[in-house]
Amino acid sequence: MITAYLLWLYRSSTSHAPNWTKYLTCIISAMEKASHLSVIVDLSPTQWHLSAQTSNQYPLSIETFLSQLLAFLNAHIASKHENSLVVFGAFPGKSVLLYSSTELLSDDVPSLDANSYLPFKLVDSTVVQRIMNEFDAIGELDEEPSCALVGAVTKALCYINRITHPSSTTAGVAEDPSIVHDPRILILSVSPDLSSSYIPIMNAIFSAQKLKVTIDVCKVYGPDTVFLQQAAHLTNGSYIYLERRDALLQYLIMSFLSPTSIRKILAVPKQDKIDFRAACFCHKNIVDIGFVCSVCLSIFCQPLPVCST
Amino acid sequence: MAPRNRDDNFMDVDSDSDISLLGDAEHRGKGKGKGKATDKRKKDKGKAKAKEQAYTWEASYTRSWDTVQEDEAGSLQGAVEDLMARGRRRRLLAPAAAIRRTIIRHLVLLLDLSAAMMDRDMRPTRFDLMLQYAREFVVEWFDQNPLGQIGVVGMRAGIGERIGEMSGNPQDVLKCLSERTRLEPTGEPSLQNAIEMARSSMSHLPTHSSREILIIFGSLTTCDPGNIHDTLDACVKNKIRISVVALAAEMKISRDLCDKTGGQFGVAMNEGHFKDILFELVPPPAQRAVARAGGPGANPAADLMMMGFPTRLPDSSPPSLCACHSDMKSEGFLCPRCMAKVCDVPTDCDICGLMIVSSPHLARSYHHLFPVKPYEAVTSMEGESMLQAACHACARIFSTSVSTAATSEGMSPWGRYRCPDCHNDFCAECDVFVHDVIHCCPGCGK
Repeated sequence: MITAYLLWLYRSSTSHAPNWTKYLTCIISAMEKASHLSVIVDLSPTQWHLSAQTSNQYPLSIETFLSQLLAFLNAHIASKHENSLVVFGAFPGKSVLLYSSTELLSDDVPSLDANSYLPFKLVDSTVVQRIMNEFDAIGELDEEPSCALVGAVTKALCYINRITHPSSTTAGVAEDPSIVHDPRILILSVSPDLSSSYIPIMNAIFSAQKLKVTIDVCKVYGPDTVFLQQAAHLTNGSYIYLERRDALLQYLIMSFLSPTSIRKILAVPKQDKIDFRAACFCHKNIVDIGFVCSVCLSIFCQPLPVCST
Repeated sequence: MAPRNRDDNFMDVDSDSDISLLGDAEHRGKGKGKGKATDKRKKDKGKAKAKEQAYTWEASYTRSWDTVQEDEAGSLQGAVEDLMARGRRRRLLAPAAAIRRTIIRHLVLLLDLSAAMMDRDMRPTRFDLMLQYAREFVVEWFDQNPLGQIGVVGMRAGIGERIGEMSGNPQDVLKCLSERTRLEPTGEPSLQNAIEMARSSMSHLPTHSSREILIIFGSLTTCDPGNIHDTLDACVKNKIRISVVALAAEMKISRDLCDKTGGQFGVAMNEGHFKDILFELVPPPAQRAVARAGGPGANPAADLMMMGFPTRLPDSSPPSLCACHSDMKSEGFLCPRCMAKVCDVPTDCDICGLMIVSSPHLARSYHHLFPVKPYEAVTSMEGESMLQAACHACARIFSTSVSTAATSEGMSPWGRYRCPDCHNDFCAECDVFVHDVIHCCPGCGK
């Protein structure tokens, strides 16, 4: 019945109908499909400690951040019953799957409460509990290893690959392949760029392009990250740098809640000035014209007789 | 006497095939005039051979239906998955060392447009299938080699025809391959003319880029104006690598072309095999060892190429004419040296000739230089103290039962594959995905 109506709308919109029927078709077809969201939370303790300092203009502690993030996750689940959600946490040195809506990894179901809605409570309690466990496991370290954001992005892509191309597993769980459309990855980042992660991030971007995944980035604290800007631009996502950090939930719901199919109608803010220039390998200057070794593709600012790599 | 002896010898030579071809009754009838003793000997030999195989060519014939077995429920699903997984794993056993590869490639695609291509032994015709696979090949090639250029030459009616100029834009190449009416096959192919045309179009290129010719050849003849071996020597001198994908049968000249220039030769057995050997030529070839007079241990000097990194003009900038098509456009890229606006990168600037690339294009080729170590299949569970219950990357639960299908080399019966660096277990699908698409291990994160 609905498909017949859609077909009629589509036929009328492609002929000479006014624009509003096209929009209506778009909205109705978007309402029919489920969407998948993978959230990657950057949880490096030093950065969060710096963010909570009151010397900042708008300090944001990790507790406030988590409560606003959980409200956003609940909003995503509430938008549509078939929406799926996966949350990864990027801790120093390792990345952990915190919550997955397709399988329950923990056996303890939270107690039923008359005032809370069970799916929301499940997400909230699982995410917070796992984060606490991981923070306790970190302990005291002299030198904190760098944040494993790249590992989390790769895992998110593997997970999306698994749900978009299911093969019948030996466990016998059949997943309907028509359920997932428009997978998105949302990265909430507080750490600065890591030069050693340039190549893995570029590889992740190209695989995201192949899987048609949109990568959105929300920079909560810290300097601008060029790699994530390029990631958002190359996958048609949006990169937002927060100026008012205490209004985080508003930014999240306005920019990142809508699935890709709705973004044709509901414009999300993007950043247009992307710096595509490369940095030379010898001095780390930004160069306009560089000399590239034909073998190892390293970029130099001055011509050298022999490549040093 | 002498004729009979010779007859005996003559019978000896072809008696083997006669026995199996005609059977014992026939042979007895034929051998009526010969001695009974020789009869018996030949019959015994024939019978013994019939036990192993009836024809000698059957020795290389694989009975693929024997490997497929039904499971208890009578379904073939498990066997099919097993075969597919084995095929995927076989591809991953390629060498993982970081070897020198030429990243900047120039390829000329030589298509056979002779009358032999209208043969229907591959559905719908060899010609249609070749066009379809050529289009897919071009898309995949530009995906893996964004800094390369492809030109297309056709062999038709005894001459070489230039179908497409050397271009770095995949849309241009696909456009000249899509005009099917212009490419109707007719006449005889000429290998020499086509290779000469390809060679002359690549003669002006610098030495640090690799020059390749890929010939898709469907005929068994070639009509050349001169000596093709002279052309072959000229190609070797110009360091051009020729690879041939033959659709009909192997010709000695095709094999010679590939061996002398260091290319790959393959004969397609069926449609799937045709696609496989065509796509084997997509990754960059390993650079040939260059003999240097600098003595052992001297690193051969790699040439540095000058490249420009553009600034991108967003949609909101005022419109102006572009340098490549003279179109009025708002968005584009500015060449850093001459400030001319070009529509798309990577390209050579039309005004100053500088090669313009954006850093993601260079980064796309990095994974060839830093490949991921292949994962080892977990074959035994001894000495395992702490086992991960789920795949480290996608959180798929591993099955605890052993797969009953016969395991070949490289396959794990538990479906677990371990990274040698971070010692995490991954499932078979993630294994293929990590090595084919992402090129970055999720556990190592490097």
